[in-house]
This record gives sequence, structure tokens and C-alpha cells, in this order.
Amino acid sequence: MRVVLLTGKGGVGKTTMSAATAIGAAAHGHRVFLLSTDPAHSVGDALGRPVGARPVEVAPSVVAQEVAVLDEIERSWSEIQDWLRGLLREGADELVAEEILVFPGLEELVALRAIREVEALGEFDVCVVDCAPTGSTLRMLRFPDALAVFMGGVFDLERRAARALKPILETVGLRGLVPGDEVFAAFERLVSDVDDVRQILLDGDRTTARLVTNAARVVVDETRRSFAYLSLYGVATDAVLVNRLLPSAAQGGFFARWAAREHEELAALEAGFGVPLLRAELRAGEPIGVEALAALAREVYGARDPAAILQRGRPLRWRRVGATTRLEIDLPHVSKEEVEVAARGEDLHLRVRDARRAIALPASLVGRSVQSARLERDVLVVTFA
Amino acid sequence: MRLVFYTGKGGVGKTTTAAATAAHAAARGHRTLVVSADPAHSLGDVLGVAVGGEAGRPTEVAPRLAALEVDARATLDPHWGRIRDYLVELFRHQGIEGVVADELALLPGAEEIAALLAVEEAARSRRYDVCVVDCAPTGSTLRLVTLPEVASRALRLLLRVQRAVATVVSPVARVVVPVPLPGPEVFRDVDQLLYERLAKLRELLLGDATSVRIVVTPERMVIDEALRAHTDLALFELGCDAVVMNRLFPPAAAAEAFFEGWSRWQEERLAEVEASFAPLPVLRASLADDEVIGVEALAAHGARTFGDADPAARLCAAPRLRFGRGKGEYRVELPLPHARKDALDVAKVDDALVVRTGNRRRAIPLPRKLAAATLVGAKLDAGTLVVRLAPAASGAR
Ligand SMILES: Nc1ncnc2c1ncn2[C@@H]1O[C@H](COP(=O)(O)OP(=O)(O)O)[C@@H](O)[C@H]1O
Ligand SMILES: Nc1ncnc2c1ncn2[C@@H]1O[C@H](COP(=O)(O)OP(=O)(O)O)[C@@H](O)[C@H]1O
Ligand SMILES: [Mg+2]
Ligand SMILES: [Mg+2]
Repeated sequence: MRVVLLTGKGGVGKTTMSAATAIGAAAHGHRVFLLSTDPAHSVGDALGRPVGARPVEVAPSVVAQEVAVLDEIERSWSEIQDWLRGLLREGADELVAEEILVFPGLEELVALRAIREVEALGEFDVCVVDCAPTGSTLRMLRFPDALAVFMGGVFDLERRAARALKPILETVGLRGLVPGDEVFAAFERLVSDVDDVRQILLDGDRTTARLVTNAARVVVDETRRSFAYLSLYGVATDAVLVNRLLPSAAQGGFFARWAAREHEELAALEAGFGVPLLRAELRAGEPIGVEALAALAREVYGARDPAAILQRGRPLRWRRVGATTRLEIDLPHVSKEEVEVAARGEDLHLRVRDARRAIALPASLVGRSVQSARLERDVLVVTFA
Repeated sequence: MRLVFYTGKGGVGKTTTAAATAAHAAARGHRTLVVSADPAHSLGDVLGVAVGGEAGRPTEVAPRLAALEVDARATLDPHWGRIRDYLVELFRHQGIEGVVADELALLPGAEEIAALLAVEEAARSRRYDVCVVDCAPTGSTLRLVTLPEVASRALRLLLRVQRAVATVVSPVARVVVPVPLPGPEVFRDVDQLLYERLAKLRELLLGDATSVRIVVTPERMVIDEALRAHTDLALFELGCDAVVMNRLFPPAAAAEAFFEGWSRWQEERLAEVEASFAPLPVLRASLADDEVIGVEALAAHGARTFGDADPAARLCAAPRLRFGRGKGEYRVELPLPHARKDALDVAKVDDALVVRTGNRRRAIPLPRKLAAATLVGAKLDAGTLVVRLAPAASGAR
């Protein structure tokens, strides 16, 4: 099943473009699932009809769903919650147990887990995902790393400690403190779920991201960074969608300077990413409902199939060159000062502006130090001693 | 120090408005700090200068104006102290060498904690008259501002439990458990870093010097989200002092034929917002004829938006949570603007009043006298939740 993720800065038109992409894909004969993972769901608003936590057919061959994240967490990891509740069992503090389980980042990942369920149904060719704004999407991408840190550094210890401590605590009547095996099992399930989602996100043969943007400086700045961050996390971007362009009838008078700015930013975007740049004009009214969205899809995609991979790429790759292995990451619009690379233990630590990531080194490179990290024509090349 | 948070739906103009407020405040003579707490920072883009913050320190961008995009790692680094030493030891025990700070900065919640620590540090430094915070979109703002309360409750309990375990059990455990256990000094640091600091932050956030401003645009969905945010913030006693209506079309823009319909419905939305948010003032920020980028343009935009009002002043005194008594019973009055009766739930659990609106819930600790009282009734009265409690002695009637 194809997975198309739409993300971008708040308000640029992610939801509108997601709905249009879904409807456009259906017009190309695909069976489409439109999934909203933005906690501020608005797919229903764009379609002009209610959509909820249960999948509902919203157009011929298009089924939509808005994931109810809190229910999902409750359903999946009730063991962890029960343990926390027991731990915090002091009346009103029970509430806290629920709150601390909703980590930032976890929310979005839980929502994305729904992709797996859609896939398991076997009834859909493509899943279009209306993601949360950039900030949350980044957290979501980072979450598997954070979890790996937790599991690697703390979890095993906790489990060993718990097993050893249990008999002692039982004798002093503090048994409930130690998480039981079912809690650890639930944690492991969480980890494996997260890993599944990660596998889907990183599989460039089925999953691509599309960045929705507007031709304004501040928005384009953020789009550039998002593109780099997605690369850093290994997610392939196959198109940039520029929405809300001023139509020619609205480029004069008061909007003359806005129009000039748009031209400038469009030129920068065109030179920018090496992926197709698709466009949609600002409409006189909000594009709400299936018909308006279908028209928008035709404008954006033209004759293209919205479900197709519009550009193939592996943004993060290990390559053998001669006898050495090197890492390459596509990072357009990133300057040298914004990148930091260091090998530590079994991992390569990378920083691109304020995004950080630890990537497991291939076994052959563990223990080697970084020889050089250079930006060569929008590609970060890391070589090892 | 005045502390002003800007929140709102994604893309409405939070960063622009926060930066304009700060630039204008600085121009009016206030020593001003503007902090970006949105992990997708765009404060630097709007100011037109990099404000990434060397070692977590603010960058001077104009006279009396400093700016900072909070970086979790840089901000948290100096605070870890012995917690970090312990974790290093723990990780080393697992055969993992190297700096832990990077990993810690990856952990969920680290960003919120870092942003709050930066704000608290600004307050403590006494270097600023006003601190303007550019928040992540609405839902995350709520997580940010309620973090001190939620986290300190959780921590207090966990600490109590852990400390009991460590002191009672650890002499034995140290022998039995193949793991370095944290000593009391680690707990002290956790306490120091999180619990005490969080308690101070909570005080700061709930105090009169702090207010939240909600940015909206003349769009239905944006306004609906703002109304919910207003209720949710009130539930946690965070007072709003203004709404900013951004991107209003000035006459010259509305005169363009293509935008014919727009000025009519934006007037409607404006009237709606003024009515629903009253008595909060609604500041009008026009769509500029170009993007508002750079300190100068921002200061001018701020001046236009605020008119004669001081951007650092408290623009409206929100009513507060009150405990009172009358006719043999206690009353708890919690302002909850726009709350709907069918989405409201009140219960008394132990010594707290648990209030739910929509999908937010809060346990409000009750003063000692009221802690033993029983719930008699609750009703919504003109945007205020009024809860009646009967004293323990007389029992429920
Ligand atoms: N091309 C367009 N022309 C006119 N209005 C648009 C266009 N694209 C989006 N909108 C409107 O802009 C607002 C924000 O769009 P939305 O898709 O909800 O953005 P996001 O999901 O990125 O927050 C909505 O009211 C939507 O109807
Ligand atoms: N009053 C305004 N006039 C002109 N452009 C504006 C105005 N407010 C915001 N913008 C522009 O709108 C876009 C989104 O604004 P921004 O402040 O980044 O929103 P947020 O922080 O809420 O996501 C930016 O391109 C910004 O320059
Ligand atoms: Mg949306
Ligand atoms: Mg912003």
C-alpha cells in the first residue's frame, strides 16, 4: 500500500491538500484511505461533512478517519497505565497517570499506527495522511530514537532491577511499586509498534512525504528546514506543493508587493529541492467539499496520478566507494555551520540545526572516528577513518 | 517581570505578533526578551537574524531587545548536574559510553522543560521588564503551560516512592541488584531541578504578572479553536488578557475585486469574536502590504496593532478562582468562559475538585477547610463554574 504523508507549517493548507490528494487519487482508480493524525483534526471541515474515529466513506472509493489518540493509547497500553495508576494511587493523582503517558511525540506515533491497521485491511491501494504541523511531525520522527535510548539505557536495567527487587519489596509490603512482567511486555509491544511505524515511514518504495507550503519567506524558510529534517530521518520527499498563490486577477494594487515576493520565493523554491513543484492558486472562497477538492486536485496534479511516487529518492544512504563505506544525506539549503557530526560508540550522532539524531553505525564502522563531513552540492558526505 | 504568552492555531501569526509585541515594547523603553518555545522555531526567520542561542543564551537584536530560540540540549546541559553523572554511570554500566546530554535532549518533554527553564531563568536574572513567549500551536501551548502542575504532582509522588525504596531497600538492594542505584544526592538534584523549579514556575505562571494572548484570524475554524483554548487555559487558571485579530484586510486590500466577499465576512467574524471574548479587548492587526520581517518592520507593525496601549501592560484583569462561603456552605468559583454544560463534569476526589471540560481535566487542590467538605451542587453561571460544598460536620443535605 502506498503511503503519502502531507506536512508543513500550520495553516498552509495541509488538510485541504490531503483531502484533494485523496480525491484525486480515487479519480485515478485507486481505493483510498484518508487518515488524519493531526490532533487538531479538520478533515471533516475540508470535506464539509463529519468524519470521526470510525472510518467512513466520504466519496466514491475514499474512506476517511480521524484517529482518536487518547482512546488508542488507553486501548493499547492499559497495562502501563494501570501500573502507573497503582503507583500514583492517591485519589486525584490518578489523573496524572493518564497525563504523563501522553508524551509529546507518542501521540503522533500512535496515530500513525493506524496506517498499519489500514494496511492490514488489504482493501486500500493508498493511504493519504494529513499530518500535524512540522514541529509535531519532527517529534514523531524523533520518538523512535528517544525510545531506543530509553530501552537501551534504562529499560533492561529496570527489568533486571525489578526482578531482583521484587522479593525484597514484597517483604516490606511495597510490592505494587515494581512493574510486573505484563508491564514490561506492554512496553515491549510499544517498542515493536513504534518500530513497525518507523519501517513504514522509512520505506521509500511505498512511503513519501509531500511538503505543503506558501510562497512567503517565513513559510519557505520552514519548508527548507523540514525538507532537511525529513532527509535526516530518512523520509523521502517526492514533491513540494505551493498553495494559495495569488491568481493574476489579484496581483495588482494592494497585493503588488505580495505578488513580487511570491515570484521571488517561487524562484527560490524552483531552484531548491530537486523534486517536482506543484501549484495551487488561492480560491475566492474556501475549497470545501468533494467537488471543490476534486477541482483543486486537477489543478495541483494535472495529468499526474496523485498516488504515484512523483520522484524516487533515498535521502539517507550508506554507500561503498572503493574499499570504504560512507554516509550520504540529501540536505539542500543547509550550511556547513548548521551541521555537526560525531561518532560515539555504536552510533553516529548528527545535528542539523536543532534536529538531532543518532544513527546506528554499520558493524564495520563501529569504533572508527569520523574522517570528514563535507557538504557537496546539497549532499552531506561523511567518511570514516 | 511581565510574562506574555502568545498562542493560537498554526499559521495565524503567533510568531509575527509575538515578535512585533517585543520589538514595540523595546522601542517603548522596556527591556524585552522574546523566546521561541515552538520546536519548529521561526522567530529567527521573522526577526531576520539567527537567534539560535550560543549555549542557550539570548542574542541582542536591537537596543533593549534580546531573542532566543530555545534549544533543549543547550538549555538543559548546565542543569543536569548529578542526575547526569548518575545516568552516565548507568549507561556506562550498560556498556554505553559518551555524553548523555544528547540523549536526554531527545526524551519527550525535554523541549517544554527547557523552554520553561529559560523563562524562569529570565525572570530570576532581573534583566528584563517583559518576556514574550512565542508558543507552539494551541494544543502544545497547553501542554507547556500546564507542565509545571502536572509534572510536579507526578514527580512528588514518584520521588516519595523512589526515595522510600532507596532508603529502606537500597542497603540490601545494592548487594542484590546488578545495577548502580541512585544515591540521595541524585534525588536532591531531581528535586532541585524539577520539583522546586517547577513549583516556582507554577507560581510565576499563575501570578498576576503572567498573561496569555490568543491570536486568531477571521476564519471559522481558527476562532472555534481559540474559544476552546480560552476555556482550557481558564481551567488551569491561566488568565488571558487579550485576543489579537490578525490579517484583517485594510480598506485598500478589501477594495480589490478578487477579494470582494472577504471584507464582508471578516467584519462578521470580528463582531463575533468581540462578542464571544468580551470583556477581553480584541486588538486589530491588519494584513501588511508585505511580509513583516525584521525588527524595524515588526516594531512598526506592533505600534499599529497596539495604538496607545502599552504592549507590556496587562490589558485586562481576568477574574480568578475564588473560594468563598455563604449560608452554611462553601463556594468555589472558577471562571470557565465558553464552557458548555454538556461537556462539563465536576467531582470531588479526596481533597481535590476534579473538573473536566471537553477532553481536558484538572484536579484543583482545595484549601484545608474545604478538603473534607462534600459536593452539594455545581452550575454554570454566566461563564463561571460555581460549585457548592457542604462542611463536613453538617454533612450533605
Ligand atoms: N487554495 C486555497 N484557496 C483558498 N483557501 C484555501 C486554499 N487552501 C486552503 N484554504 C483554506 O485555508 C484554511 C487553512 O487550510 P487547511 O487545509 O486547514 O490548513 P492546515 O491543515 O495546513 O492547517 C482553510 O480555511 C482552507 O479552507
Ligand atoms: N499581519 C500580517 N501581515 C502580513 N503578513 C503576516 C501577518 N501576520 C503573519 N503574516 C505572515 O503569515 C505567515 C505565518 O505567520 P507566523 O507568524 O509565522 O504564524 P505562526 O507563528 O502562527 O505559525 C508568515 O509568512 C508571516 O510573515
Ligand atoms: Mg490541518
Ligand atoms: Mg510560529
